[in-house]
Amino acid sequence: MAERVPCPDCGADNRAGATTCRLCGDPMNATAAAKPAVQRKLLRRTDFVAAAEANRKATTRLVLLLLAIGATLGYVLGWNLEIFIGDALVVTDSYRAYQQPGHDSIWFLSSWGIWAASIILVLSVIWTLIALRQGDRIVLRITGARPVTVEQEPVLHNVVEEMAIAAGIPKPQVVVIETEALNAFATGLSTRRSAVGVTRGLLDALDRDELQGVIGHELGHIVNLDMRYATAVSTLVGLIALVADAAWRVAYVGGRAGAARRVGGRSGGRGGGGGAAVAILILFLVAALAPVFAKLVQMAVSRQREFLADATSVRLTRNPQGLMSALEKLSKQAAPFPGANRATQHLFIVNPFKHFPEKASRLMATHPPLDARIRRLGNLGG
Amino acid sequence: MELSTVIVIGVLVLLGFYLVSTYNRLVRLRNQVRNGWRQIDVQLKRRHDLIPNLVETVKDYMAYEQETLRQVIEARSRAVATEGKGPEEALPAEQMLSGALGKLFALMENYPDLKANENVSRLMEELSSTENRIAFSRQHYNDSVMAKNTAVESFPSNLVARLFGFRHAAYFEIDTQERAVPKVSLR
Repeated sequence: MAERVPCPDCGADNRAGATTCRLCGDPMNATAAAKPAVQRKLLRRTDFVAAAEANRKATTRLVLLLLAIGATLGYVLGWNLEIFIGDALVVTDSYRAYQQPGHDSIWFLSSWGIWAASIILVLSVIWTLIALRQGDRIVLRITGARPVTVEQEPVLHNVVEEMAIAAGIPKPQVVVIETEALNAFATGLSTRRSAVGVTRGLLDALDRDELQGVIGHELGHIVNLDMRYATAVSTLVGLIALVADAAWRVAYVGGRAGAARRVGGRSGGRGGGGGAAVAILILFLVAALAPVFAKLVQMAVSRQREFLADATSVRLTRNPQGLMSALEKLSKQAAPFPGANRATQHLFIVNPFKHFPEKASRLMATHPPLDARIRRLGNLGG
Repeated sequence: MELSTVIVIGVLVLLGFYLVSTYNRLVRLRNQVRNGWRQIDVQLKRRHDLIPNLVETVKDYMAYEQETLRQVIEARSRAVATEGKGPEEALPAEQMLSGALGKLFALMENYPDLKANENVSRLMEELSSTENRIAFSRQHYNDSVMAKNTAVESFPSNLVARLFGFRHAAYFEIDTQERAVPKVSLR
């Protein structure tokens, strides 16, 4: 009987020399085992249905967080506007509250703030709907992909059709990008009208099982409607950036007005002089932080969707090995990808920028590190 | 209006929304199951259509394997006869066809000339893709059946299902025999 070694994470007995635990899938050596707790929690989900469910929940939370950031920004902006120009236009409740010394209302409660937050939320929804109506085919033009016929690429067409059957959706358009780089992408705002593309290098380098895993991943993006998510989220991020910009201006003007008031000795005219200073400080803070947080959330959503597409690929192929070995080949590739740019990077199966510093800017990455993806896939196979 | 009236109306409206959305979900699931079955049928038909081509192409190379080729043709014509008759009758015939084809594929490994033939390799790709499609359409069918059955069984959607007569769907079961690797006699 071989020597038994307990897993550092869950304590299950493992073969000596095993690289990952057979029960929880965590790495057995001590250095790799020192992972953040949250990642370990996700890794322990062993079946793909639960993995997809957990992922969808995570994405929903992130989108709600994004809406909350937008609403907070709107609220603080409206609150400041009320303090600084509200008295010039109309006499509002909270202006009156500021007028009374020793008022007992909550100092940061602002009806203008609530209005502004609501307007931001409504605007987000409308803006997103408009963005979703617009074309999704731009990526095909940008990347220089061209459609191929069944006669030209029978195996690719067959694999795409097989995966479409497994997913229960109409077969997407099949396109090829003529480049040595190994990559693949999917596009389409609905399952009825979509396209998958692979590079020539990928077709040459992968065997049928690996290609099936990659196409399953891309079909996963289509089935999970990731293009919609990406469009909605990037629209929200854009809106937040725009409002934050406006907030900067208000904070600047408001700050100068406040200073002028103090210089003019009229600060006694407003009971809430101190409150106004705090409000403007919060505005500065929120306007500076909101766009950064929004961007971080956007990237986190993108990474979650990559994990989800991997899990969906396994649901379709029931064969994690294919995608795992494909990802391993992708991680070792040398050829650069000339068609890549920042606008389309999130669509690809691996980030098309070769020398993307994975550790340094993990929070700003559109894709999770490949070793983490391969580890989770290995977990699904168990 | 009284507050209680408002609450009662509100509850009724919510109930109506739930009823409509659950009914629509059940209809969608039922259609998904039906469409799943049709997909399997389409792929089985596709396999039937491909086999004569394959036999025609390989028979000159495989003069010594007449018996195997005859088995394939016979299994095919039996499977064709069950087209459109539903899973109970189609299943055994299709399983026999899968077995015969598996044997043929294994024997073809012995003929390097055959594997080098472009026509044959194209047909082989088409047939193995069709085998995959049959497997994947069956997988999708069973996934759809599971989703529908879950909706029909779980509370409270089972009440709506009973109200409108939505029933269980049957899984597409596979015999272990079909999954087994075909035996090849080495003589």
